[in-house]
Amino acid sequence: MDWFPVALSLRVALLATVATVIVGVPLAWLLARRRFPGRDLISATLLTPLVLPPTVLGYYLLMTIGRRGPIGRLLEARGIELAFTWRAAVLAAAVGSFALLIKTAQAGFESIDKRLEQAAQTLGHSDWSIFWTVSVPLAWRSILAGTVLAFCKALGDFGITLMVAGDIPGRTQTLPLAIYDHVQSNQLAQANTLALISVGFVVVLMLALGRVARLRY
Amino acid sequence: MLSIAIRKRFGDFTLDAEWTSRQPIVALVGPSGSGKTLTLQCIAGLVSPDTGRIVCADRELFDGQQRINVRPQQRRIGYVFQGYALFPHMTVRQNIDYGRRGRVRPAFPVLERLGLGSLESRYPSELSGGEQQRVALARALATDPDLLLLDEPLSALDAPLRRQLCTELSQTLREWGKMAVLVTHDLSEAYQIADVVVLCEGGRTTEAVPKNDLLWNPSSERVARLIGARNILRGTIAETKSESVIVEWRGVRLEAAQSPSHDLHARTGDELAFFVRPEYVRLIRKNRTVSENLRQTNLFRGDIVGERDEGTTWVLFFRLATPGEPFQVNYDLEIEIPKLVYERLGVATDRQWDVSIHPGSIQILPSH
Repeated sequence: MDWFPVALSLRVALLATVATVIVGVPLAWLLARRRFPGRDLISATLLTPLVLPPTVLGYYLLMTIGRRGPIGRLLEARGIELAFTWRAAVLAAAVGSFALLIKTAQAGFESIDKRLEQAAQTLGHSDWSIFWTVSVPLAWRSILAGTVLAFCKALGDFGITLMVAGDIPGRTQTLPLAIYDHVQSNQLAQANTLALISVGFVVVLMLALGRVARLRY
Repeated sequence: MLSIAIRKRFGDFTLDAEWTSRQPIVALVGPSGSGKTLTLQCIAGLVSPDTGRIVCADRELFDGQQRINVRPQQRRIGYVFQGYALFPHMTVRQNIDYGRRGRVRPAFPVLERLGLGSLESRYPSELSGGEQQRVALARALATDPDLLLLDEPLSALDAPLRRQLCTELSQTLREWGKMAVLVTHDLSEAYQIADVVVLCEGGRTTEAVPKNDLLWNPSSERVARLIGARNILRGTIAETKSESVIVEWRGVRLEAAQSPSHDLHARTGDELAFFVRPEYVRLIRKNRTVSENLRQTNLFRGDIVGERDEGTTWVLFFRLATPGEPFQVNYDLEIEIPKLVYERLGVATDRQWDVSIHPGSIQILPSH
């Protein structure tokens, strides 16, 4: 039994989630609390990964980061290869999952009584300080829920990963891709084990989430 | 001194607030949706007016023309929000210290003064409404602001507690001694706490008026309606004397004392508005002699056509025996008497009465 896909998937999903949280939580706060030009456009664009076919997303991503794409060319000039590496799998997982985090966290921020943040303003705190001392502590359950959802989604990405990272055993073959390959080559026992592992991860995470959500602030 | 002259449009609603107060405690009074909270938000800098000027204690906080707009963090204004807006994830102590970071401990010891010492480690959800109010007040005062804004600080409390905390709040504000703006829909609350009152209605405001003038000498019919005056009546001037004026109303001649502060720029024959406080109309005992009755001024006869039991008082709806042109729907005058008087006089069965109004309790409303 080859455990590489499991380890790779965990690493990819973890890194993708960390990146998503770092970019996504502040963006969710901005969308919830600020009116700025382009806000509606960003909000709409964010939802596309949830509804577009993964292959379409993967196609555009590949066109961007591939050798001939604008970003791919830039990276190649610096000697960095992105397409068809495990890093591309991270990117794919992040693209496929960040909408879940942002939408959940945004709803969390929006449900905070605006007067709390206004009170903090009159008490002399900067926006940055208010974000950390009031908004995040009060929305943390939504942020956590979004993070777990995004992690589970990242763990299971298939289409985008296949398009941009390929399915190279021992290099970019993540868990879902490995299951597909096992089924294709009629190795049902292996496919079954990996599928159970996937289900196990998600169930454990969801149970833990339900527990934490019952805590107070 | 606090001086406001601002305009702010919000869809269909336009706030047009303009008033100045040299007195320390101002109350903004008006129904919900009249722009009171929006005015506070503009003063605090949480909402920027479209145009205008806000000056507090010689500090320019906002000036639309000179593009001055001090950030809320720098305005040195304490804000007690409606519903208190305490941070639910912080203890009482943390709530109060939240605004104190990096600032000098103020001269006003809030925790001790407001008796919150024993509650320090509780969370807001573990406090009663009155305690929450005190924490909100302490939190706002802890930053040693120049001006305190209070948005309906008592409306979340039930009636007995509200009365007690009203007195407490009034004392705390006096001891603290700086300027405060109180928003309330309850005129009696404003009267107990504030020095001057600004009335708000549909986004517009009156000038800041000393509270006694407002209640006892309202400057116009509009103001009288806003303070909820009943028996706002119209008559014509029959005669003007030095101390009083004779008004003809529904065929009755009423003598009214001249207002000490507002000059009545009206002549005989002019129409004018006035009001009579229902609790100042007297029912005359039946067993008095005619000569005693002759000494009563503004005496007239009529019937009680309706009544309402308000618990400790009764409101009677009185119709003149010989009415002129009708212009109140079913009755001419509202009379309010204590329940005790109602029972002693046997008003329940006896419906025809002579009533008298003291000239001093008929208030002429300047027409401008």
